[in-house]
Amino acid sequence: MQTAATFDPGLIARYDVNGPRYTSYPAAPQFHAGFGEPQLRAAAHASNEDPIPRPLSVYVHVPFCLSPCFYCGCTRIITRDTGRSPIYLQRLHREIELIAPLFDRDRPVVQLHFGGGTPNFLDRAQMAELLETLAQHFSFSRDPKREFGIELDPRFCDADYVRALAPLGFNRVSVGIQDFDPEVQAAVNRIQSVAQTRAVLDAARESGFRSTSVDLIYGLPKQTLAGFARTLDEVIALEPDRVAAYAYAHLPQRFKAQRQIHAADLPDAATRLRLLGLTVEKLTTAGYRYIGMDHFARADDELARAQDASTLQRNFQGYSTHGGCDLIGLGMSAISHIGASYSQNAHDLPRYYAALDAGRLPVARGLALSEDDGIRADAIGLLMCQGRLDIAAFEARHNVDFQLYFDAELRRLRKLARDDLVEIAPESLQVTARGRYLLRHIAMCFDAYLAREAAPAVRYSRAL
Amino acid sequence: MTHLHQPGKLPPHNPIADDGDAVHFCSTCAFGSVCLPAGLNKSALNDLHMLVEHVGPFHTGDHIFRNGERFGALYAVRAGMVKTRQIDDEGHEQVLGFHLPGEMIGLDAIHPAKYPCDAVALDTVFVCRFSFPALSTLAAKIPDVQQRLFDLLSADIGKSSRFSGDHTADERLAAFLLDLAGRYAARGFAPNSYRLVMPRADIANYLRLAAETVSRVLRRFQDQDLIQVVGRELELVDKPALQKLARHILRD
Repeated sequence: MQTAATFDPGLIARYDVNGPRYTSYPAAPQFHAGFGEPQLRAAAHASNEDPIPRPLSVYVHVPFCLSPCFYCGCTRIITRDTGRSPIYLQRLHREIELIAPLFDRDRPVVQLHFGGGTPNFLDRAQMAELLETLAQHFSFSRDPKREFGIELDPRFCDADYVRALAPLGFNRVSVGIQDFDPEVQAAVNRIQSVAQTRAVLDAARESGFRSTSVDLIYGLPKQTLAGFARTLDEVIALEPDRVAAYAYAHLPQRFKAQRQIHAADLPDAATRLRLLGLTVEKLTTAGYRYIGMDHFARADDELARAQDASTLQRNFQGYSTHGGCDLIGLGMSAISHIGASYSQNAHDLPRYYAALDAGRLPVARGLALSEDDGIRADAIGLLMCQGRLDIAAFEARHNVDFQLYFDAELRRLRKLARDDLVEIAPESLQVTARGRYLLRHIAMCFDAYLAREAAPAVRYSRAL
Repeated sequence: MTHLHQPGKLPPHNPIADDGDAVHFCSTCAFGSVCLPAGLNKSALNDLHMLVEHVGPFHTGDHIFRNGERFGALYAVRAGMVKTRQIDDEGHEQVLGFHLPGEMIGLDAIHPAKYPCDAVALDTVFVCRFSFPALSTLAAKIPDVQQRLFDLLSADIGKSSRFSGDHTADERLAAFLLDLAGRYAARGFAPNSYRLVMPRADIANYLRLAAETVSRVLRRFQDQDLIQVVGRELELVDKPALQKLARHILRD
């Protein structure tokens, strides 16, 4: 069991730099167009040939949103025209038909996640049909431990909609809140009441969903400590099993919607740090455990138990209990992680549609991990998920001399050790309680691409 | 970092019998042990026009020889794994065997002087090529070499019938895993853990099982703590239990 992380603004201010969030290593900016359909097919084929092939995790991207939230950095399309869904779904069904046969039928889908955009942009009938197509082309696990999750926007779905999802197999729901403070909601163009949110969470729990999760964002315009404290109290009263508190990444040159946000309304660095401190303090006092990065979970939640059992892993949804799966991303811009490869679908609808209409998989770019990439990905994954790296086991697994292989990395890490973020012992690396807040910085020590890049600032958000 | 040599990266675990040179035999050489007592090192063999030629690398999917090609040489695997297989008239593949470093292939081609199967590299493979006419000449002169050749031929005949009996999937897989372990151990490699280089489709084909059955049984073996599988790395955890399962197949 880990101890509660201690919060130290002085230390955190010193580490206010930009870096990847390590939902993958190598990070997405390293993906390239040289990785296309033939490479993806080869990766899928090879993934069937292990003695015990990995189970599958499927991600479905629904890119449409009815209304633009100004903070959003996701790949989405704002439209009120629900007539766009059938056109998108037609291609999505096509993609499922093309990619599913690449995976042997004895590989169960143990994890399914719908994200967006707004998955509930689809109506109940469309959702049912999509699930049916998925079940027909993939082998859904019948294990009760399977995790079928969906992100819901409570402003655009009612209790009936949520109740209709349970018979389709969904058992986890994730609900965006960000902040309940009316001033903040106005500034980010997302007006959402506590009652709306509660209705969705209650309906999910009533209809047998196993786990509920909510998303918050700190660092939003007009955000104050007093306002966010009230939000946190209201969130705790909603009793979600998990809470994600993301740092707002203001990158208006990259995300057009963010240009609606006045930089002058953003809280300063000191306030951001206090907002994070407040979040940690309130949530841990209320019985949540700080898992790492932006994630909190009740001590009896699967995420916390996975961390204790060392089966926690990092993926594109943040942290996940299902380690050791091949991830198949479906839909516009979705990312797949199959064997030692990453790949991403076309980033816009015209290209996504064109590929499928021509009978091709819509993969646009990707990357085959080198042996070195795999070794570093393992080190980063262990430190971010377990907070510990056992050197002997690592050396045996990768056939390396750790001290020699990571000579430069350990030199970088020693600076962090002096700030008490990590303990470097001959037999292990151990992230300290303070270090849990700076996991990105610890991971960055092992990032070979970052070390070569002159100015990571352009590509990545602030690491705090 | 792929273009750089990374310090701290240790030599691969993958077995390779690459310790031979112009004068010395590889430690796994099938003929080294019988030639040396007869006073023949490799340079002496070359004087006899007995060509021991190192060939490779072959990459995954490359053929070392093809079905129907004229037989002229035996091959010994030096590194990597070789699959032998036949393809029937309907295009169905039948996997005949997997060959590890130190093992001979091509023994079944002596009569009728044609290779009766394909030999395909399953990973990066290096082989030794023994010219058969030269080897025959040598066998006529050195009785131990002749005896060794007969031994190899005899062992090869026995092997091919091993999985043709009426055995359960559990028995077949237990025997298969133990057989590989024994063969690695006999050549001085780690006896209880090795890499299953061959795709599961090939294992299934060889054992005449469905691919799903191979995985289902292996998963159960793992749940029963008989083996541990991580990716393609395999560890035999409870050998006695596996031996009990395999006793009808591995009688000897």
